[in-house]
Amino acid sequence: MSAGAVAASDHTPDSRVPGDALLSAEGVTKQFGGLTAVSGVDFFIPQRAIVSIIGPNGAGKTTFFNMLTGLYKPTLGKIRFDAKDITRGRPDKIMALGIARTFQNIRLFGTMTAVENVMVGRHARMKAGLFGSILRTPGVGKEEKSVREKAHEELEYVGIAPRLHDQLAVNLAYGDQRRVEIARALASDPKLLLLDEPTAGMNPQESAQLTDFMRKLRDDRGLAILLIEHDMKVVMGVSEYVTVLDHGEKISEGLPADVRADPKVVEAYLGKQG
Amino acid sequence: MSATETPPDAPGTPPGQISIKPQSALVARLTAPATQKLILPVVFLGLMALVPLVLDQSSPLLRDATLAAAYVVMALGLNIIVGFAGLLDLGYVAFFAIGAYTIGWLGSGFFAEANGGEGIHIAVTGFAASLPGIHVNFLLVLVAALIFTTIAGMIIGLPTLRLRGDYIAIVTLAFGEIIGDIAENGDRLSIGDYKLTNGKQGITPVDKIDLPLVEPFKLGAIDGRPWFWVALALVALVLFVNFRLRDSRLGRAWIALREDEVAASSMGIPLVKTKLLAYGTGAAFGGMSGAFLGSYLNTVNADQFQFSFSIFILSMVILGGLGSIWGVVVGAIALSFMNFRLIPELRDAPSLVGLDFELTDLSFGIFGFLLVIMMIMRPEGLLPERRRQIELTENLEGGDDVPVQAVKA
Amino acid sequence: MEAASVPVAPAVPFGEKARAFISTYGLIAILAALPVYYGVSDLVNDGNLTRLGNNLVAGLSNGAIWALIAIGYTLVYGIVELINFAHGEVFMIGSFVSASFFGTVGLTAATGVLGLVLGLALTLIVAMLGSGLLNVMIERVAYRPLRDAPKLAALITAVGMSFILQNVGLLWRGGSQEGITDLVQAQKELFSFGGVTVSNGDLLSVGVTIPLVLLMTAFITKSRLGKAMRATAQDPEAARLMGINVDTTISLTFLIGGMLAGAAGLIYALYQTTIWYFQGFTAGLIAFTAAVMGGIGNLRGAVLGGLIIGFIQQISDNRIGTEWTPALVFSFLVLIMVFKPSGLLGEQTREAG
Ligand SMILES: Nc1ncnc2c1ncn2[C@@H]1O[C@H](COP(=O)(O)OP(=O)(O)OP(=O)(O)O)[C@@H](O)[C@H]1O
Ligand SMILES: [Mg+2]
Repeated sequence: MSAGAVAASDHTPDSRVPGDALLSAEGVTKQFGGLTAVSGVDFFIPQRAIVSIIGPNGAGKTTFFNMLTGLYKPTLGKIRFDAKDITRGRPDKIMALGIARTFQNIRLFGTMTAVENVMVGRHARMKAGLFGSILRTPGVGKEEKSVREKAHEELEYVGIAPRLHDQLAVNLAYGDQRRVEIARALASDPKLLLLDEPTAGMNPQESAQLTDFMRKLRDDRGLAILLIEHDMKVVMGVSEYVTVLDHGEKISEGLPADVRADPKVVEAYLGKQG
Repeated sequence: MSATETPPDAPGTPPGQISIKPQSALVARLTAPATQKLILPVVFLGLMALVPLVLDQSSPLLRDATLAAAYVVMALGLNIIVGFAGLLDLGYVAFFAIGAYTIGWLGSGFFAEANGGEGIHIAVTGFAASLPGIHVNFLLVLVAALIFTTIAGMIIGLPTLRLRGDYIAIVTLAFGEIIGDIAENGDRLSIGDYKLTNGKQGITPVDKIDLPLVEPFKLGAIDGRPWFWVALALVALVLFVNFRLRDSRLGRAWIALREDEVAASSMGIPLVKTKLLAYGTGAAFGGMSGAFLGSYLNTVNADQFQFSFSIFILSMVILGGLGSIWGVVVGAIALSFMNFRLIPELRDAPSLVGLDFELTDLSFGIFGFLLVIMMIMRPEGLLPERRRQIELTENLEGGDDVPVQAVKA
Repeated sequence: MEAASVPVAPAVPFGEKARAFISTYGLIAILAALPVYYGVSDLVNDGNLTRLGNNLVAGLSNGAIWALIAIGYTLVYGIVELINFAHGEVFMIGSFVSASFFGTVGLTAATGVLGLVLGLALTLIVAMLGSGLLNVMIERVAYRPLRDAPKLAALITAVGMSFILQNVGLLWRGGSQEGITDLVQAQKELFSFGGVTVSNGDLLSVGVTIPLVLLMTAFITKSRLGKAMRATAQDPEAARLMGINVDTTISLTFLIGGMLAGAAGLIYALYQTTIWYFQGFTAGLIAFTAAVMGGIGNLRGAVLGGLIIGFIQQISDNRIGTEWTPALVFSFLVLIMVFKPSGLLGEQTREAG
């Protein structure tokens, strides 16, 4: 893809979105009462890309995520994924189409074990129904077993030691919880993975590992990753393309280096601090 | 953080010491509990099946045990709704009523003019086969009760789908009251030429259980054993379903949505369908038990369908432990014996210490007290389910980047 | 690329507005259905609205009682987000305290007007204090230990408390409906205009309710404690940081709610002239319906909801049959909770779907 061809923010939607974009958003707006949390954002993710959204606190990043995953219905605008309109779709249906996510504040199912959490992530790809589950037909038994095995594999893939697999999620260390959440999202074999501040609370060494892991993930599985991140080192290190939100508006986008040099971005961040 | 690296923040595990369990251990872990899981239910049901053999056929204890079994069925049904899926249902009595009226309508002389006074008879033998009214074989009535209550459960569940937990409780309560009011005043409503219910008069007598290959059952007082065994068969069924569902895709989905609806729906769990399945299956057992009780108690009477009944069943679930299958069994047996044996036996106890009331007057106050004490002292119940224990005793504050209400059904 | 330059039409907000419009006006339409239907039928059959007018008067008197109880639900829900399921029983105890106190102070049907007014004023104070303190005690014993537990745990305890209190009532004054001396001759006609009669009971009910509600509103909006209550309801954590004693404030809320329920208990005993231990269950649910109808957390809403429910209930009692009234009210409850959980005057708050 040639993200470099994309000029910085202007608000005419979008003759630049490649026809094969995995996800595209057009003029997406979200209002809460009088507050406009996201305002007319155009955005796209190419196939197999790693892109980031950055912006000061309260810029509307998580709100944007929530619209992509169906938790919020956009007030205005259109979202397409994999050539389908998902604008007002239900979260579970969107997940089934291939968008999986993690949460800024970890939302594991605390009373389930790590493995069970990951098995829940596979829910949309499983078939067992009410009667099948009660009768435990051979098909259901087989499915259950293979999903459990897959869950163990995913946990190992994200680096959770086997002895922790059957621990309750509440009892896991913070970093492990973050990893289990990623494994849970991966269990559905998504085409697009959304990570909301995955390095929050991690030390620099862990953040660096996660950066490597994201690349590996994309290369191993051919999925695209959309990242919300405050850690500039991670953002600059891994993203092919960066979008900047401030007060709900897209104020800049482009290659990481260009964005970093954009005076508007600098001002948004400094303004926030000062 | 690739697969081969040691997780950096696993405390107290020096690299190299992580033991990967050998495959055989893994296999053992997967299979052993499954067989172990079978032992307890089989032993329990086997022992229970022997109970009537040591008791006199007409022993009042046998009657109590039969009632207890019927209540175990109800409590385990409610456990699916409240314990597994976390939907507080204060109107479970509605399903009891619908199940009971199913047999009242399809297994009694209530519709005396049916078929021009000849009666309609479907697969019934013996005495009932010659009576006017509609008389359908008990097994078919059970199936009908199951179907009716499943549908009712979903209809009642539907309006609650977008609501918060406490509003769900009130809406289900309101439905339970509406069904109770209809039962009570149904003698003033008519379908065609017939009354809908017989109000507080009750529909009586009700057909006895009529199974293939064995003679139709007699009234409980003459030989109570077959009744108990039928009730026990229902217990076996509901236990089986509870265990199977708990350890299934659906069971995990229930826990997930109980804990965090936002995360659950983001993980691909359809909220509407999953909740309705909980209401439907839970209701079905209330209905089956209701049909059984209609036949066993020989009456279907509007007085039976009060709010306090819902609380009676809820107390069983809470006493035993929300979501804990064996806990609920124990809770149901304990409270049912307390209600039908202990309290009546101690009826005169207050007068012995100079108080002028009978202990039976206190029965619902006692259940209320039990609810309060349990919630304050031991909310996880007598035999807690591991997950619920954590939920109820530790503060599991989830993330708040999406309010729960953001997810609409 | 295909959808590229399509301007985004504001179709969605319109849809949402339409839904909000339908749910608000749908609710009003449902509430108006019975009065309008019977009003028209009165006009056709009798040529006037006298019967509906009488329904309205009796409905407002009953509704005043529901309003007093509903305020207790709304205040408590506003501050601790708990449906105080035992609140109906607090009201019942108010009736019981009153009935017992009549005897104590020697009020009989023969007592003179001055004695009656003084005696009832005293009874009112006692009933309000009794119910208010009871409500405070319930919060202490049953709800406070569960403040950090899952919300449903406290609701279950509340149900348990309600059963305990019913049992207390049962032991106290027996299991059947009990007639109370008709001290104020509640049904006696006070005056009438155009065929619509206003009775002593109507005057009593409205005459006690209006000053109480005004007083209480003034207290909550003007006094320091009342402001603390509102601050705590909005954000307990922030209130704590501002130096407000949250525990005391919550107790105060239960006290006020309980006192109003106690007053309702006295009015009910005088107006209906029968009491029984089970009266609180139905009354509680009716009043809760009123609170939700008005918009839970909203004082004016609770009063409005109470009056509307009283009117509808009276119409139903009078024309459909008393036996169907509870089912009718519960149906309203379900409809409102499902289609307009924020009620008539409620803001779009957390409970709003
Ligand atoms: N459900 C909601 N109701 C009302 N306002 C909301 C809601 N969700 C988010 N907001 C508001 O929208 C704005 C954007 O919030 P959002 O969480 O999207 O920011 P963010 O960019 O993710 O910030 P952070 O970096 O702190 O996570 C904030 O002002 C927030 O208060
Ligand atoms: Mg955020």
